[in-house]
Amino acid sequence: MYSLSWLILFLPMAGFLTLSWSGKRFPKLTGGWFASAMVGGAFLVTLLMLAQLYAESPADRLNHVQTLYPWVVSEGFSLNLSILIDPLSVFMLLVVTGVGFLIHVYSIGYMHHDKEFTRFFAYLNLFIFSMSLLVLAADFFFLIVGWALVGLASYLLIGFWTDRKTAVLAARKAFVMNVIGDVGMVIAAFMIFEHFGTLNYVEVFKAAPTAFFPNDDNVLLITLLLLVGAFAKSAQLPLHTWLPDAMEGPTPVSALIHAATMVTAGVYLVARCNALYMMAPFTMYLIASVGVITAIFAGSVGMVQYDIKRVIAYSTMSQIGFMFLAVGVGVFSIGMFHLMTHAFFKALLFLAAGSVIHGMSDEQDIRKMGGLRYAMPVTFITFLIGSLALAGFPLTAGFFSKEEIVMSAYSAQYGNIVFWGLAIIAVGMTGFYTFRLFFYTFMGQSRTPEAHPHESPSVMTVPLMVLAALSLVGGLLGPWVHDFLSPVFGGATLGHHDDTMMEIVAVAAALGGIITAVAIYMTGKDQLAFAKQMLAPIYEALYNKYYVDEIYDFLIVKPVKGIGKFLEERAEKQGIDFSVDQVGKQVREVSRGISIWQSGKVRIYALNMVAGMVTILLFVIFL
Amino acid sequence: MIMGAEFVLFVSAAVFSIGALGFVVRKNPLVMFMSVELMLNAVNFLLVGYSNFLNSLDGQIFALIIMTVAAAEVVVGLAIILTIFRTRHELDADHIDVLKG
Amino acid sequence: MEFLDQLLSFNLDRETVFGLFEQSIVFIIGMTAILASLGVVLCATPIYSALYLIGNMVCLAMLFLMFNAEFLAAVQVVVYAGAVMILFLFIIALLGAKKEGREFSFQNFMGLSFVGLLFCELLMAMMVGKTRPVEGKVTPEVIQQVGSAKAIGIELFSNHIVPFELASLLLLVAAVGIISLAKFTYKPMRKRTRT
Repeated sequence: MYSLSWLILFLPMAGFLTLSWSGKRFPKLTGGWFASAMVGGAFLVTLLMLAQLYAESPADRLNHVQTLYPWVVSEGFSLNLSILIDPLSVFMLLVVTGVGFLIHVYSIGYMHHDKEFTRFFAYLNLFIFSMSLLVLAADFFFLIVGWALVGLASYLLIGFWTDRKTAVLAARKAFVMNVIGDVGMVIAAFMIFEHFGTLNYVEVFKAAPTAFFPNDDNVLLITLLLLVGAFAKSAQLPLHTWLPDAMEGPTPVSALIHAATMVTAGVYLVARCNALYMMAPFTMYLIASVGVITAIFAGSVGMVQYDIKRVIAYSTMSQIGFMFLAVGVGVFSIGMFHLMTHAFFKALLFLAAGSVIHGMSDEQDIRKMGGLRYAMPVTFITFLIGSLALAGFPLTAGFFSKEEIVMSAYSAQYGNIVFWGLAIIAVGMTGFYTFRLFFYTFMGQSRTPEAHPHESPSVMTVPLMVLAALSLVGGLLGPWVHDFLSPVFGGATLGHHDDTMMEIVAVAAALGGIITAVAIYMTGKDQLAFAKQMLAPIYEALYNKYYVDEIYDFLIVKPVKGIGKFLEERAEKQGIDFSVDQVGKQVREVSRGISIWQSGKVRIYALNMVAGMVTILLFVIFL
Repeated sequence: MIMGAEFVLFVSAAVFSIGALGFVVRKNPLVMFMSVELMLNAVNFLLVGYSNFLNSLDGQIFALIIMTVAAAEVVVGLAIILTIFRTRHELDADHIDVLKG
Repeated sequence: MEFLDQLLSFNLDRETVFGLFEQSIVFIIGMTAILASLGVVLCATPIYSALYLIGNMVCLAMLFLMFNAEFLAAVQVVVYAGAVMILFLFIIALLGAKKEGREFSFQNFMGLSFVGLLFCELLMAMMVGKTRPVEGKVTPEVIQQVGSAKAIGIELFSNHIVPFELASLLLLVAAVGIISLAKFTYKPMRKRTRT
């Protein structure tokens, strides 16, 4: 049965190959439905795997390695073409293929007018394939292959509109940032191989607890290098700058790759390697710290941006920060739970934002929106649900997962009061920026009267409704998620925390953020101007995203460009070019001299052969 | 034993050298081909002679295969010479230097 | 000098006389082969060269006979002196054998000296010493019992079947090559492609 799981890889790959080779021959919409069907098929297979896992007892659900064939077999190193089925990978695949399927369907409506419709779907299928490979990999090698492939798919999709310069530049930036992470991961894989002699997950994680002391230098280095990859992929500080720029891509791409699936791969990686990370508490503290700092950082920047997608992008960074906080304090299953709910409501928000952009004819500035609640009722309601879930309004999906994280930040193994306090601040910010965006977009009066917004077709709104339903009830899955995943995380049980006071504070923070937003943006312009004036320096810093891009530009790009310029003028023109030219020139001269030997006359060649024989016989006789 | 191995070696060395000389000195491609045949025959003779001295048939088998190869080579070579003659109307190995560098 | 000693000792029984006779025959044939090959190289007219080559091959075939290779001797006469040389003669007849002028160029001198050196070295290689040959079991007596052709056949089809088959493949390739050479016509090419 488990061998069917190869279909999860093969179906999207088949879709990608078909669409890229013969996509032009399909009628336009058929290509989209075909791609969606491939991903839907992968989703069904994933459900089948889930059922299969449920047929076994929890302890038996681990380590179902499916080997296709041994790919590399050599002395001391072997590599199988194999995939790993266990609760974690199946859970992650449910998110990837499930949300991916909805977004595929949505894209049929969203990309309807695009000329290169099938190319878009080919890339989307490639992405689903790469992500499945990343998730299903049974060793670090294929993890890195999938890791790089999702980077490639992300690059292709961000730069999908190749005629937009900003899009191409953003794609390049994302790719370069991701490659920084890839390098870290590759080095980590080398170190793992050095210490364990294998790259196989099962063997590595089995040997990890005995191979190292806690906080051993080697395990710290391995985990940190893996973390470089995770941070780059998940847009955590300081490798975060690519994610807001990545919003240049089509909105479904932002929803699929830069909100729901790919950027959460870092969380998945840490959860997958929990056996290694549990040996490195220092790294865990680092993860939690970076996570919570990113949550605050991105939340604060998100509070003042005006581009609808950028706000959501910063909120994504912030939420991934929460996930890292969760896995950093040692509650992996809660991190994965938040990953799931976040996939629901963030995909929902992005898709709803896409619907807004679609309705407003490609307008992204929220200052030019407003009053859309009448024109786009479905989008309005689903966006509201998404916002509530994101802000952690009680009884929505985000509420359950985020409350769990905030409480674990204090009560879990590596938690402490500082993490808790920072998390509370981030929760407040979440509520604020979410509803600021909401009010700007949907409430009040339209700021551009000439625009004629319209509701999107049902092929776009149906996925919105499905996701909205999931965002509402997804929180109830919490205990199930924990039970299902606990074998992977060594059977850890969830610590109960009965501190009612703290929970109330957390809820109050979320509500406080929302109320602040209401107070500033709903009751008139005076407060807004006043607040802006009072906090002008902070506002400037926030609006410019803490000048991180500028700092990178000053510290890295400018010096490198200077060195490059110097090298181009001095070293290349006068050194390399000259020597290369000289080599060519001298070779030409010498060969002109030699070429008289190639007379084309057989007899002279034969004479040379005789001379050669004479020489060889000399050796035979005298040696 | 009829004659010593030295005799076989001497004869084959002489014929081989004369063949090599013919290939280097003559300009007519036909004669050059004949010289090649001479060299091949010299080697054949050596193989047969030693096959006799060593009481083994391997040498004769080898000589047989060499004859096959030589026959094939002669046929193809002569066909090529014929083709060259058809296009150039002369036969001189020194004038066929299209491959001059 | 064994030869002279025996001749002078007058110890001539039947076996020795036959041995001496045979040896002198082999010697004479060998010298004839060398002379014939010299004729191939030195004759100015290709037709004489071809005739000398036939002589050389017949001589070698006789030597094969003397060295217990009757089958190969037959093959030598049939294939070489027969088929191949007829082919040569046909070509000569077709192309018209022109007499080649003698010339004493530097190149020829170099060729002569190098080949002379080669010959000397081959003779010197004789003096180097024996290699370690592997003696087989197929003595002349065994061949006499079975017959040369049969012995070779058994050997060829048991131990050397793959080279044999490859040889057939080679002949096939040669046939295809000749057909393609003969079938297609060529545009006359420029005498020199390079200026």
